Amino acid sequence: MRFGFRELPDPGPDGVRGRPIVDVVIEGLEIAPQACLLDSGATAVRFGAYVAELCGIELSQAPRRELAVGGAVVEARMAEVDLLVRDNEDSYAWTAPVWFCDPWFPAFGLLGLTGFFDHFEVTIASYEEWIELTPIN
Amino acid sequence: MAEKTIVRGVKIAGQPFVLRSSDVVHALRDVDPEPITIHFVVIDAKRFPPKQVVSEVTGLDRADFTTHQARRTLIRLGFPAGRRGVAASNPREIKDRGPLAPSPDRLTDRLRSLSGQWVAIKDDDVIHASSSPRELVGWLGKHGQHADTMFRVPEDELAITGLAPL
Repeated sequence: MRFGFRELPDPGPDGVRGRPIVDVVIEGLEIAPQACLLDSGATAVRFGAYVAELCGIELSQAPRRELAVGGAVVEARMAEVDLLVRDNEDSYAWTAPVWFCDPWFPAFGLLGLTGFFDHFEVTIASYEEWIELTPIN
Repeated sequence: MAEKTIVRGVKIAGQPFVLRSSDVVHALRDVDPEPITIHFVVIDAKRFPPKQVVSEVTGLDRADFTTHQARRTLIRLGFPAGRRGVAASNPREIKDRGPLAPSPDRLTDRLRSLSGQWVAIKDDDVIHASSSPRELVGWLGKHGQHADTMFRVPEDELAITGLAPL
């Protein structure tokens, strides 16, 4: 599956910057796929806690950790979650541990090593601004 | 959004109205935009179906006038109008725009006015914007809409950076 970089308004000095972002359907919430940044510096898949609420994922008894995100300590709870990515022709679904964080500062979810990069061979062509995801069978 | 108040006397469905652009903005402030089929007008950075706006402002039944009448009325009041998949047109803005200025053709530039809001995007169009993700998904469900993606429009550098936690 191949995707172009996504441009978002950038409040920084660059103005606009294309980023490796893909849309992920979480727990079958097809009406609202979540924009997610491919982030090889993150050890796991992380979303804002609001995503769990949108998808009806119960977190009250879920494993809990404190994480430092953006200079602040946030509470994160983990659940095994069904994820799906698709382009115009193909789709791939998998189950992964996802940490839901509160508060959450990024504008999108983060797809990190465990739960995302260990499911795909990932090519990021930054110069040409495209991403290719090949599921690892 | 209209920058200064424009007042127009119009006749819609055989009835005379005096419409002010500022009244239109005020009347639509807390109104939930319905899904765009083809045509839209931009009011206070939100896209509305023209018939929804005119019905809201005049109290007329939507069956009493056409999309074309509604669209023309709102354009004359200074509101940008467009079609889904095509940028909103505002001749004055286009004329004044320099070659390197932001372009309404780009989704990125259209998103700037929605900084900090949650948006649902489909076919490169913002189909709805909201102050909360729950409200946004509620709107999608209520109106039977499927977005291609949803996210919060970054309001600062913290929101746009990976911030990879260890």
